[in-house]
Amino acid sequence: MHTRALRRTGAALLAAAAVALTGAPGIAPAEESPSAVPAAAATGPYTVGMTTDVDSLNPFTGIVAESFEMYQLMYPTLTTSSAEDFSPVPDLAESWTESADQTTWTYRIRPDLTWSDGTPLTARDAAYSFNRVIDGDYEQTNYGGYVANITRAEAPDDTTLVLTVSKPTPLMDRLAVYILPEHVWREIDGKEVRSFPNEPTDGQPIVGAGPYLLVERQKGQFLRFQANPTHWRGKPAFDELVFRVYENDDALGQALRKGEVDFAHDMQANVFDAISGDSVITPIEAANYDFSEIGFNTGAALADGTPIGDGHPALRDTRVRQALNWAIDRQVLVDKVLAGHGTPGSTVIPPLYTTLHLKPANPYTYDPARAGQLLDEAGYPLGADGKRQDTDGTPLTLRLLGRQESQESQQTVQFVQGWLEDLGITVETKIVSEDTLIELNGQGNFDIFEWGWGVEPDPDYQLSTFTCAQRSSEDDGTIYAGLSDSHFCNEEYDRLYAEQATQTDPVQRAETVRQMQQILYDEAPYAVTYYPDMLQARRTDAAHALVAQPTTSADGRPGRQLFQFGTWTYDAIQPGAAPADGASDAAGTQDTSAGGVSPAVIGGAAALAVLGIAAAVLLGRRRRSDEDVE
Amino acid sequence: MRPGTRYALRSVASGLGTLLFVVIFNFFLFRMLPGDPIGLYTRGRNVPPEQIEALRAELDRPLVEQFLGYLANPFSSTINSARFNQPVWTLIGERVGATLLLVGTAIVLASIVGTWLGIRSAWQRGQRFDNVSTGLTLTLYSMPEFWLGMILLIVFGVGVGFLPGMFPIGGIITPGVDPSSLAGILDIAWHMVLPVTTLTAVYLAEYALVMRASLLDEMGQDYLVVARAKGLMDKVVRRRHAVPNAMLPTITLIFMNLGFVISGAITVETVFSWPGLGLLSYDALRGPDIALLQAIFLLFSIGVILANVAADLVYAVLDPRVRA
Repeated sequence: MHTRALRRTGAALLAAAAVALTGAPGIAPAEESPSAVPAAAATGPYTVGMTTDVDSLNPFTGIVAESFEMYQLMYPTLTTSSAEDFSPVPDLAESWTESADQTTWTYRIRPDLTWSDGTPLTARDAAYSFNRVIDGDYEQTNYGGYVANITRAEAPDDTTLVLTVSKPTPLMDRLAVYILPEHVWREIDGKEVRSFPNEPTDGQPIVGAGPYLLVERQKGQFLRFQANPTHWRGKPAFDELVFRVYENDDALGQALRKGEVDFAHDMQANVFDAISGDSVITPIEAANYDFSEIGFNTGAALADGTPIGDGHPALRDTRVRQALNWAIDRQVLVDKVLAGHGTPGSTVIPPLYTTLHLKPANPYTYDPARAGQLLDEAGYPLGADGKRQDTDGTPLTLRLLGRQESQESQQTVQFVQGWLEDLGITVETKIVSEDTLIELNGQGNFDIFEWGWGVEPDPDYQLSTFTCAQRSSEDDGTIYAGLSDSHFCNEEYDRLYAEQATQTDPVQRAETVRQMQQILYDEAPYAVTYYPDMLQARRTDAAHALVAQPTTSADGRPGRQLFQFGTWTYDAIQPGAAPADGASDAAGTQDTSAGGVSPAVIGGAAALAVLGIAAAVLLGRRRRSDEDVE
Repeated sequence: MRPGTRYALRSVASGLGTLLFVVIFNFFLFRMLPGDPIGLYTRGRNVPPEQIEALRAELDRPLVEQFLGYLANPFSSTINSARFNQPVWTLIGERVGATLLLVGTAIVLASIVGTWLGIRSAWQRGQRFDNVSTGLTLTLYSMPEFWLGMILLIVFGVGVGFLPGMFPIGGIITPGVDPSSLAGILDIAWHMVLPVTTLTAVYLAEYALVMRASLLDEMGQDYLVVARAKGLMDKVVRRRHAVPNAMLPTITLIFMNLGFVISGAITVETVFSWPGLGLLSYDALRGPDIALLQAIFLLFSIGVILANVAADLVYAVLDPRVRA
């Protein structure tokens, strides 16, 4: 009774203080921040919440997807991926051509551009950026893959960039190498660049040329951007853009409900479901780049073919791997593990890449009878005890690895264990950390594992992970993992891989890429389990005209609206609710984000006031009781 | 040598011994972790094979060489975090303030309120205040920080029913506000309310229960009977005679907890996205970022060791029997 009364008094006091202070206009000027844009023109900030912090703002260093979102806001690339279907479209380069002899590519750079500090932005900056990676050491880590076939970058004049290639390559219209201001980066040598933070220190924005300029970064808290008034696609509608980090999925959902953020990126399924019913929130269940798989040890070996590891011989038999593909109920995994937020998996290029994805003609459905039949054919019959017999008469036993870092992985592994045991296979499940799993994969000391990949618009990297050359390597007696975790090796596949790597005609190349997916589907180094959705959500009242990439995936659904390949949403987004949603809402709702400072100031004052009053009361009582004593 | 000096030297020496052990153990602990961090770091990215080899070569230097380099200066500014590619002690320096502010405030509040609750409960043992207070503190004591934080966040951050969401969901300051201005300081205070309340609620139970128990022990003592027999007022008996004697365990507890000020409250920092050392260690673990983990653990250990030595020394000052 007492406590409750006390609390109510406290709340009333707070409310009273808040009311009193709101009435006081003197508080308002305090919210002005030093680098704020003139109040009259200000819109925003548009605030995006995410659960992973940017690891580095130096584009040579960062590795998480969140960091690359910042880079593309700050720096241009020659080309970018279209919002409709990821096809290459102009960014800094207006147009580009391959020479007739296929040895050079010429890019026409937009004329009359400047960096945010007023220095001209020309083809020379582009040439510098490419040469820095080509000649670099550390700089190769993030971008070496793009320049592997580029021998030289030259700028004969301010609007022409010429890249010389050692062999024809289809990557040339997808070079995601950020164009950096030469006058800034040439001061940072190859050693210094390793720990160069690239963060604003004196309130001055980082010199850039993207749609937004970075003005402030507080690690673990937020990143603050201002619109670039001189961007060639025009100044973005929101003057300020803020990314806030929430290290906790529930908090991100609550922040969106409250309006502390306008957009939430990469939400957990349960949080997403919990807030989806909220009337002011638009849930975005987006087709995504990722797939998850159950991977098999197809016969671990070094790249030269020397066998390694202790993988079970049964999995070298294609029929056994196919059997396990028939034994997995992918729809159940989508329903139970992803809570419905995904689609059953088939091939290793996800369906949102409509031009590349292969939809198999005879998909692996859940068919335990067929799985059993294939196991019988492969020589693993059911024994009298209901267990499959290995070739030496002992029960057929396979080890199954799941990942500590992922709840979904552990649940998937449980389901798969059940299905394999239904087939009579004895399964030993173990949960390990991801870096341990890489080590076990590399050494070939595994049978079956669960993991996944995120696939870029260009399929080369993903396809390379199944080539013979990507099996493990040995150095001074230590075995290191290559990219291949299934140790798959197939001559025809390797031939097609080499072929697609030189096909500069997108239609022909797509055909090759589909043939390669068919081989992977039939030979089954993986059982692709599902394509998980990207779960995003936004406040309907805060903005409209966001753009989905792609417009529709092969399964008919649109893609994500932020953290895309390209800055489509940032370029198009408009403040306020869409006119159709009722324009009257727009004005009122700006308060939640734009006026964020004011309530905080009032609240802070109120909190201090309450503390002060409490202290005074306590001290007063103390003095009084001291007096009692005397 | 006076017994007091000998005692002090012994405490400090044992502290230094523990520190040396921690420094060495710390190094080997993280190197015993299985796994291929470079493989994980480069997975899914188009990193040229030569670059991967170069990265591995850096990690695969002979253990002895690494150990000697580490021993020479565990606080060297040249050790880079693998995840953030910046010197580990720079990263730690950026975060230490936020944690000290949060956990320091909570410990001060908790020790004051907790001790006060403990004293009153013990003095009025079995009465209504004691029943309510002990029940409440026991409930708080058994409550997971994460859960309590989440409840407070939903009720007072988002708002439930008629109650508006008054407090921020996360962070230490509103983006764009200058932390050195008056508005910035008030804004930080506003952001502190929920995390500090959570931590205080969880911490204060310990103080209240310990204080109550030790005061109850004292209350049966003969000297209190004597004090009462002298006709002293109840309050004076409590404040001048019983409480000072019963304070010893609480003071030890306060000093020992000071050691955890640095290691902070990983869970509470996670719930409220508080950018302190707890969050940094959480990020380092996700890497795993061995250099950063090693530095953070070293710092945490030093904090606990220092606090223990301090507790030993203070105890000796307060209680002459310990010195003998």
